[in-house]
Amino acid sequence: MSSTNPNIERRDPAMVMRLSRLGSLHQCRLSFMRQLTRRMAAEQWEFSRPVFDIDHKGVGHAVYSVQGPDHTYSLVAFAHDLPPDQRSDRVIAEAWDATFTLFDGVPTADDIERLSQNVPLQEAGRVSESELSLSRANRSVRLWAHVVDRLAAGQQPDLAPIYKVGYLMRTTAVYGSGKFGAADREKIADRPETNGPFQAEMLSVYLTRIFVRDLVQHMAAAKGGSQTAQLDPRIARWLGIGNSTGLGMAPFIVNHPILFNNWIMVREEAIARVRSLETASDVEVTQFRNVFERSKLSISWWQSEHPIQIEKLTALNTDLRAISTFLDKTDLAENQPWDRLILWSQTALSEEGQELLASLILEPYGDLVDGLSSCMADGNSSAFAINGTMSVENVRDQIRSSFGWAIEMDWDSSEHCARAWYVSEEKLEPRLGERFDEPIAEYEQPLAPARDAALAYKALADWSDEAPIAEFLLRHPEHRHTVRRAQMSSVAPYGEIRDNTIGASVLPIDMLRAKLSFFGATHFDPRSDRWVRICMYAGAPYPEDLTSETADLWVYPELSQ
Amino acid sequence: MSFSLNEVEATAKRATRGAGYAWGVAEEAAKATRWLCAQGLDGVTELSRLLEHGFASSIGDHVPADLQDEWTGASVLCPLMTGALLSDRSDLLQSGSIRIRHLASPLLLLPFTAYAAHSKSAIVTISSGDFSAVTDGVQLSLKNKYPSQVDLIEVALGGSLANPIAQHTRATPDLAAWKALNRLAHRTFAPATEESRMLGAGAGLSDND
Repeated sequence: MSSTNPNIERRDPAMVMRLSRLGSLHQCRLSFMRQLTRRMAAEQWEFSRPVFDIDHKGVGHAVYSVQGPDHTYSLVAFAHDLPPDQRSDRVIAEAWDATFTLFDGVPTADDIERLSQNVPLQEAGRVSESELSLSRANRSVRLWAHVVDRLAAGQQPDLAPIYKVGYLMRTTAVYGSGKFGAADREKIADRPETNGPFQAEMLSVYLTRIFVRDLVQHMAAAKGGSQTAQLDPRIARWLGIGNSTGLGMAPFIVNHPILFNNWIMVREEAIARVRSLETASDVEVTQFRNVFERSKLSISWWQSEHPIQIEKLTALNTDLRAISTFLDKTDLAENQPWDRLILWSQTALSEEGQELLASLILEPYGDLVDGLSSCMADGNSSAFAINGTMSVENVRDQIRSSFGWAIEMDWDSSEHCARAWYVSEEKLEPRLGERFDEPIAEYEQPLAPARDAALAYKALADWSDEAPIAEFLLRHPEHRHTVRRAQMSSVAPYGEIRDNTIGASVLPIDMLRAKLSFFGATHFDPRSDRWVRICMYAGAPYPEDLTSETADLWVYPELSQ
Repeated sequence: MSFSLNEVEATAKRATRGAGYAWGVAEEAAKATRWLCAQGLDGVTELSRLLEHGFASSIGDHVPADLQDEWTGASVLCPLMTGALLSDRSDLLQSGSIRIRHLASPLLLLPFTAYAAHSKSAIVTISSGDFSAVTDGVQLSLKNKYPSQVDLIEVALGGSLANPIAQHTRATPDLAAWKALNRLAHRTFAPATEESRMLGAGAGLSDND
């Protein structure tokens, strides 16, 4: 058993919380999808498909149920015949190829009838306290047609386009936590299997993937009849579920500083623990080298047409070669090998490569790392309350600790406040606009913590050091949200993004990627600076293959394939 | 129709902002409204009534002038600002009760006394005339009907939580009040424009691929 050296500390928030680094994060063994697949395998969850009532045009509904130790959850899926001109990933879409809800339990016929009147409408419908999520998906038209046509002709689809696209259907919004009438998170937060962040949503996507596999087989059979081939499980495994995510996700990490802190801090703690190991066994080193080789294969399938990501991928591929060269000549057995590797990466690699390595070194150490996943939820509701007895001087210190870099910036200059976050009355979605070109400033959302911190700091200048902050807030309620955040930062050092979120050059996709990497997403493919496509569960075992052996490292493709 | 508590919180926050309060106060209003709904009380109606007063444009008149003796302001006190102050300075309860003069919508003060109770790990009682409420931060018991405005209300440590109200997981607010909050919330939404649709949400590429 390796001993840990407490000398290696967690990385400095000032380094970790820069947007460019957050926008370079990779999935790791703490990712929410992997937490779920490990649990489902360990607890031997039982899967069934009580209903599959879909016609030859692909219209109907299906129910997929999964039974854990204490609760059963059911994905209710509605399949539609969508005209191609209505196929949009945008939140303003009003129709989809398929719509879903995750039901808490097993739905009755009455439930299905009620849901059939509402789930296909998505935001325009209402669900109830029995539903835990609401989501929709559209086909990847080219891959869908390829797979259906091949199977219908009695052949298997090609793997190359499957590796390239990664999925047959792409979800857009996956709503949870009380949205559109669904159950509040509190309903499931005390259950072991849904205490972790986004576990209900991750389960709904896992079940969605099974449905999509079944649906494509069904549609192929409708077309090919008796000559239809059965999709080869070795190919089906590489069909993930896509997701197309826009700006709605970016405010989330600003609006939930404690939760976001917990994700980042847990990963940083895991990295620090592994870096602190004095030695690594042959088994551990072999496992790391193996996972690195497998991750190279996954990255080789990662494609993007977006200039920013093309540049990042070029850098990452250069990094991969540098890592290979370094690993060829480096003995990882002794002298804090993982710390040496991380320190080297900081001198030799782009942030993409640095964060990839930081995630990969955790892989051999499930025993050391996986237990931390229980610390990733936000159970600290009392952090909302402001301690009004705290002195003005202390609050100033707290503001400086996260935003010292922002205080001297000229926040009136157009370059620093070029953008404003606002909510459009259309579907109530968050958007990012040009403050000086569009009439949006009066609708600005409080999503510029750095600017607001600088303003509060300035306002505090006239107050005596010893005054209790409550007195300041009584006269200056406009700084209340900033003081709350500042106080939270003492328990959540990784809760604040250390960059300007309204500057002329801000890239919202960095915020999206930070969040999606914790889901466990791969193959980030920005479609602009403010929305991104990703792949989920590609390589994951379907229920019939889900065991403790297959439940974890599925995200890394096997070299033999 | 029932609403999730998350929906109540989100709508209350936007409505309070739409009524002109600062974001940090809107956050307080949102949590407070949610807390009341979780007790089975119609926090939505209470918040809607309060926001009708339009205190936000002259908020300085509706906050306690100082923390001496009785809390009183130039005009009727706003329970959101007064409640926030009570929560911020819950320490003051340890040196005696707090007496508050001319408070609007006193029901909205309750959630803040609950935060105070929670942070002090104590039971807190508020009383005005024959109305009283006792909370330990989570649970609440009420005695007699709560008034719509009070000349004097007293907040003090202590009391006994007899027959606390059952907790609710859904809100069933008065629909007229719910609509009123939504009208205020709507003020925070920027009108949709084609420019916003294209630029603000970053569209442009086809999704039919």
